[in-house]
Amino acid sequence: MAELGLRLTLTFIQIAVIVLIVIVTVLLLTLAERKVLGWMQDRMGPMEVGPYGSLQPFADAIKLFFKEDIVPAGANKLLFTVAPLLALIPAFIGFAVIPWGPDLTFEFDGLTMKPFIISDINIGILYILAFASIGAYGIILGGWASNSKYSLLGGLRSAAQIISYELNIGLAIIGVLIMAGSLSLVKITGAQSGWFWNWYVFAFPAPQIFALVVYVISAVAETNRVPFDLPEAESELVAGFFTEYSGLRFAFFYLAEYANMVLVSCVASAMFLGGWNAPYPGTILDLLGLSSLAWIENTMWFAFKTYSFLFLFFWLRATLPRLRYDQLMRFGWKVMLPIALANIVVTSIAVYLFPKG
Amino acid sequence: MHTLKEWLKTITLYEILVGMKATLGHLINYKPVTLQYPHEKRTLPDNYRGMLALLRYDDGTEKCVGCDLCEAACPSRVIRVVSAEVPGEPTKRYSKEYYMDMTRCLFCGMCVDACPVDALGMTREFEWAVYDKRQLHLNKQQLLAIGDRSFPVREKRLELQHQNTAFFNVAFKHIPQKPI
Repeated sequence: MAELGLRLTLTFIQIAVIVLIVIVTVLLLTLAERKVLGWMQDRMGPMEVGPYGSLQPFADAIKLFFKEDIVPAGANKLLFTVAPLLALIPAFIGFAVIPWGPDLTFEFDGLTMKPFIISDINIGILYILAFASIGAYGIILGGWASNSKYSLLGGLRSAAQIISYELNIGLAIIGVLIMAGSLSLVKITGAQSGWFWNWYVFAFPAPQIFALVVYVISAVAETNRVPFDLPEAESELVAGFFTEYSGLRFAFFYLAEYANMVLVSCVASAMFLGGWNAPYPGTILDLLGLSSLAWIENTMWFAFKTYSFLFLFFWLRATLPRLRYDQLMRFGWKVMLPIALANIVVTSIAVYLFPKG
Repeated sequence: MHTLKEWLKTITLYEILVGMKATLGHLINYKPVTLQYPHEKRTLPDNYRGMLALLRYDDGTEKCVGCDLCEAACPSRVIRVVSAEVPGEPTKRYSKEYYMDMTRCLFCGMCVDACPVDALGMTREFEWAVYDKRQLHLNKQQLLAIGDRSFPVREKRLELQHQNTAFFNVAFKHIPQKPI
């Protein structure tokens, strides 16, 4: 019993730390996005709160916290309340299976635990995909429950878009799964150690470069980001599915969007870019004789890869205009889907011809 | 060959990469074109047409002679003048009341052009946001106060003054007149 309690405590500490890191990242992202967008558009971005606007996320959080919480007349109160949670919780729950660092074990009072892996379940990536799909319910229900035509249209668009692009994400990942022979993100990341040509983007029998491109494009579409931000197209639908939301519920949707961005970036770097593996075998700190600190280098590499993807999201947002709706659907079904399927076929043949070891 | 090139451009996302290169270039050579407005203000052009004001002569008497020409010239009916005789001087008139509804003003400057005695001036003030728009319905005292604070040296816009009106302009007789 005491052992169970201790194990639970340790796991809860792990979860708390990860959630804290994700929330801090999201806070940083809201500022970083506005700053990067501003710089790319010859503006300054937020400059008022704190030095160079550095306290803007906190000002936003405080403002949203104290805003009036409006439920529109005729809205379905239950679903209107549940929808933000349905969007937020799946966005955070996926982080449970991400390997944040090397597969170390750590002894604590007779218990062994892995400090960088909350849970290594054998269907890791499937679990993330499943919960990402549940996040779509939050958006659809939020759009429906608001009793507003803009929200409803935004929600319906989002439903169609997420269904189309989830498929592509799933198919793009399959190539990696064939090569790794596992669904567990820990095993997939572990199999990419060594030089950077062991990463699945460049790996020998079938480089997954097309899968990566399909994955990134579909991930942008799935997180409702520019240029695929049709569910919340300002010029057409006011704010899409969260038109009627205000205060904390709006903040939940906002948080969910950014947490989803972090999640898809984490998955992309774990599956295609080797996760916490450095582009060279081992770590520099290990060579310097600081083996106990090698995990810092590994987690830093993971963070670097993830943040590169997030920067790519901002970059795309600063560059590209929004797609038309039929273009979005045609692109998803007629371009992305065939590429993903062809990638599966090619990868399967290549892996069959050049079996591992 | 041509189609092959097009096809290659498509599959390598060439156009998108060109666009992304442009945005990255702006990020690296970051030169903001915006000003942090309340802290930094851009320099106004010399002929800036800002808030209207009533002016005074050097000795402090009002220039306005209550002729109503500004009211007639105003395209948006901003100005309302109530003209009256100067008590005890039957040949002179002045504006007993003078109102400007600045919510309607479009800052065309026609009233300033119309004024024969140069009693109206356009200041360089433009930060006139108020919470209650009744505060923009200005009376004579307020307009004179704006003129006093914007033109402490009361020699503005003499170049616009016609020589025929200089007769009224007793304060500036020492200034050489323009040839007609």
